[in-house]
Amino acid sequence: MANRNSRLVTSLSVVSLLMTGTAPAFAEGELNILTWEGYADASAIEPFEKETGCKVNATYVGSNDDFAPKLAAGGGVFDLISPSIDSTAPLIEAGFVEPIDTSKIAEWDNIYEKFRNSGGINKDGEVYGVPYAWGAIAFMYLKDKFETPPTSIAELWNPDLEGKVSLWDDKSALYVAARLNGDTDIYNLTDEQLDAAKKKLAEQRPLIRKYWSTAGELVDLYAAGEVWISNTWAGYQSSLLADKGIEVVEFIPEENAEGWMDSFMIVKGTPNEDCAYKFLNMAVSESGQCAVANVNGYSVANPVAAKNCMTPEQFVALHQDDPDYLDSLLLWENLGERLGDYTNAWNAVKAE
Amino acid sequence: MSEVIRIENLRKEFGDVIGVADVSLSIERGEYVTLLGPSGCGKSTLLRMIGGFEAPTSGTIWLDGEDVTDLPPNQRAVNMVFQDYALFPHMTVGQNVGYGLRVSGTPRAEIKPRVAETLSLVGLTDKADTSPAELSGGQRQRVALARAIVRHPKVLLLDEPLSALDANLREQMQVELRNLHNKVGLTFIMVTHDQSEALVMSDRVVVMRDGRVSQTGDPVSLYDAPANSYVADFIGATNLFASPVKASNGKIFVSCFGQELEIDHPAVDGVPAAERLFGFRPEKARLVRANGSVPQGNLLKGRLENVLYHGAMIRSVVVVGEGRILVDTLLDDTFDPARHAGTGDEVFVDIDPHKIMPFARDGAS
Amino acid sequence: MRLATRNRLSSGGVLSLPLVWTFLFLFIPYAILFIYSFWEKKFPTFVPAFQFGNYLELMVDPQYVRVLLRTIKIAGLVSLLSLLLAYPYAYFLVHKVKRPGVKLVLYMAVVLPLWVSYLLRAYTWKTILGTQGILNSFLVSTGILSEPSSVFLYNQTAMVVTLTYVFIPFMVMPIYAALEKIPGSLTEASRDLGMSAIQTFVRVTLPLSMPGVIAGFTMTFCLSFGDFIAPFLVGGPDGMMIANVIATQFGAALNWPLGSALALVMLVIVLTIITLSDRLQGVGRGKYA
Repeated sequence: MANRNSRLVTSLSVVSLLMTGTAPAFAEGELNILTWEGYADASAIEPFEKETGCKVNATYVGSNDDFAPKLAAGGGVFDLISPSIDSTAPLIEAGFVEPIDTSKIAEWDNIYEKFRNSGGINKDGEVYGVPYAWGAIAFMYLKDKFETPPTSIAELWNPDLEGKVSLWDDKSALYVAARLNGDTDIYNLTDEQLDAAKKKLAEQRPLIRKYWSTAGELVDLYAAGEVWISNTWAGYQSSLLADKGIEVVEFIPEENAEGWMDSFMIVKGTPNEDCAYKFLNMAVSESGQCAVANVNGYSVANPVAAKNCMTPEQFVALHQDDPDYLDSLLLWENLGERLGDYTNAWNAVKAE
Repeated sequence: MSEVIRIENLRKEFGDVIGVADVSLSIERGEYVTLLGPSGCGKSTLLRMIGGFEAPTSGTIWLDGEDVTDLPPNQRAVNMVFQDYALFPHMTVGQNVGYGLRVSGTPRAEIKPRVAETLSLVGLTDKADTSPAELSGGQRQRVALARAIVRHPKVLLLDEPLSALDANLREQMQVELRNLHNKVGLTFIMVTHDQSEALVMSDRVVVMRDGRVSQTGDPVSLYDAPANSYVADFIGATNLFASPVKASNGKIFVSCFGQELEIDHPAVDGVPAAERLFGFRPEKARLVRANGSVPQGNLLKGRLENVLYHGAMIRSVVVVGEGRILVDTLLDDTFDPARHAGTGDEVFVDIDPHKIMPFARDGAS
Repeated sequence: MRLATRNRLSSGGVLSLPLVWTFLFLFIPYAILFIYSFWEKKFPTFVPAFQFGNYLELMVDPQYVRVLLRTIKIAGLVSLLSLLLAYPYAYFLVHKVKRPGVKLVLYMAVVLPLWVSYLLRAYTWKTILGTQGILNSFLVSTGILSEPSSVFLYNQTAMVVTLTYVFIPFMVMPIYAALEKIPGSLTEASRDLGMSAIQTFVRVTLPLSMPGVIAGFTMTFCLSFGDFIAPFLVGGPDGMMIANVIATQFGAALNWPLGSALALVMLVIVLTIITLSDRLQGVGRGKYA
């Protein structure tokens, strides 16, 4: 997950040709990667291309919803993709991606065990993804608008904040509402619980200024003084706002927060398998891990590499030292058959 | 007869351009008056000021004793037949004709018979429910007429009403328009640039030039006694030439392209004068073949350059000195083609001294 | 002989290119949508089937009708507001502006924004209507408001305003063309026949400009009906329109069959409107004689 700023523009496949004219004589192949902005940063890609001769073309997505449709449309265009952990299962199920030979990933064993064994990338004894980066769907508020720091999701239902609340325009809104209702098994809500979450969101709607869709939009909403409190991709929008001199505070509410994790997957039938493995190795190495930590401000999947390439402060700030923090997050799960119900429930809230 | 329209010192400026400079005119009830002139002479602007579509810069328009200068078109008892007929395409012929009755307070029950009556007057009884788009040009013209006369206006204005029709239809409509005028007895004011149309149709023709009236008169006097060379040239053809006046042996002579001609016109008093303009009509002259001898008469010698066939007559173009003289010969029973001169022949032009007309130089009356 | 044949062939070629284009990029995609609309959602994606479940769901689940009605309402308001603004403007341009240069500039002032990205133009309204926006600064500085109001942005009104601004050229252009086409002599004839200026407008100018009004109404309606950017940019929590729902069905829900069914319903509505508008224009249209 990365910069979803101006989803409308970037989802129209802005192809970035990262290397021009410096192709080495022993070029072995070309990798087409469908990924988030920042995940193919030049700081990691340029040395990679020099070293391996694999040329990298990155196409950026605006949302997790873009991976499956792009692959379902067929074409054999892409070699690697980087969906979030809740979107991987349908891709594996649909046969869009290939199993990965983890013995070819040098640092595989250094990756958090929680991620390596995650249901999202494992199926029938095969591994389908190489974990790359992670973070929390935290909450944040404008510091100077709150005398007592909010600690609960309930603050987003506070009538005093009418017109100052925002929530991510995503099924995640249902996860938030369900937790407020006390339903903690947010990825397996029953119909009744889903209905209750819907009602909760309908109740909240008059307080909502706008449901935010992109990182940039949320930043703009804070910057323009439209919104005081919302959920957020931890580390990302807050640092963008800090750059603008706007002080926001992130918090993990007592109802807990969702966690997300992105992993790289190999598209079935890629003719560039060699390069793909080289890229995966680079991605979880120090070079790849610190690139995403520096560019996007996300936590990374390989704490060993992180320890070597981060400053101690950054290491702590990104919770790389704190397995309990990671464990406390409700890591996204694929909703399977229930995806349609969740999506419809969220649409129904917006249709009211 | 009484006066229905009086125009006093009317002037219209369009920015820097003067449309109508200074026109005063009186029109009698029941008269058929034509405003004649080339494009840009101000005739249409004058008509549109009478209709109320242009506001005069200065001057007054009286309609039946009432000052209507500043009244909008819908408050004047005049109606206009537009050059493009201006039929409403979204209405039937009957609705078009009845349109003007709907505001004039005519009871609904009366509208229908009046429309039918007017349509029969222009011979379109069965077209009431037809769309204008389905009509021929001549039929549209008649609808436009019917629509304008159904309100019994004090004056009917016609802006180049026949210009959109082809030649045959135009002649037929000239007759019909004239008949209609006789039948309904309204005052007609028509604008045209076609001099023959003006002569055929009007009781009186107002010849205009550069925003002014050049001459007003009935067709006969305009043709026979044009007040100036402009009118002479615009109405029919005239052989014009400039010459000083010379007296000799009690006769008066002028020089036409270097050859002497006798002139005997009451307007020329015999006093030798500086250069003036003279002219004669092509049909007043006679073409004589030069059979080696010089015939009797008031003669110009020249060479036949061209013969233009006009059906009822032929027009011969004769080169005389630096100029060209036109001579029309009627193709009646007395005409013998065998005796007529051929192109390139030496010929004489014979003109009666009475038929040569003197004009003021600049054409102003 | 051979030349004639070749000419026929080449003119056939000229004609067939648009046909091939239409077939490839219009007919085939819609045919595919049509087929998909009978398929079935089945984890992880969807499977071929022939059943009417998707259409049934559109009727049974009230959210679709609700969003559809909301979309029709917004598109209708946009068209109406566009008409109310565009007609006087076009009328003013055609009848009141005498100098061709001024006329051209004023016409281009409406049309030129079409060359600017839709996104940018819609985005502008955020900076105008926002809580710290231009409108609020003006109202506060003039003392009309004591503090900035948030009622201008992120609601359906903001969407209507933005969409009106974005699509109004499509209303001005056909109305301008229709008014321009009416010969001046027609209004003069009406005045001449005793009608006042207002009566003339009602009986002559307005009916004769109806084809332009209908064309403009159709275009602005259909364009706003299919819009999905204004809800995203300036819409509030109640801003979702039908195109957004289709987008989520194709994306987030990965339910292409339902999305296809919805897209086809939308297509049918738009085609109905276009057909109706065509009929209406045919009725009101008289040929200028």
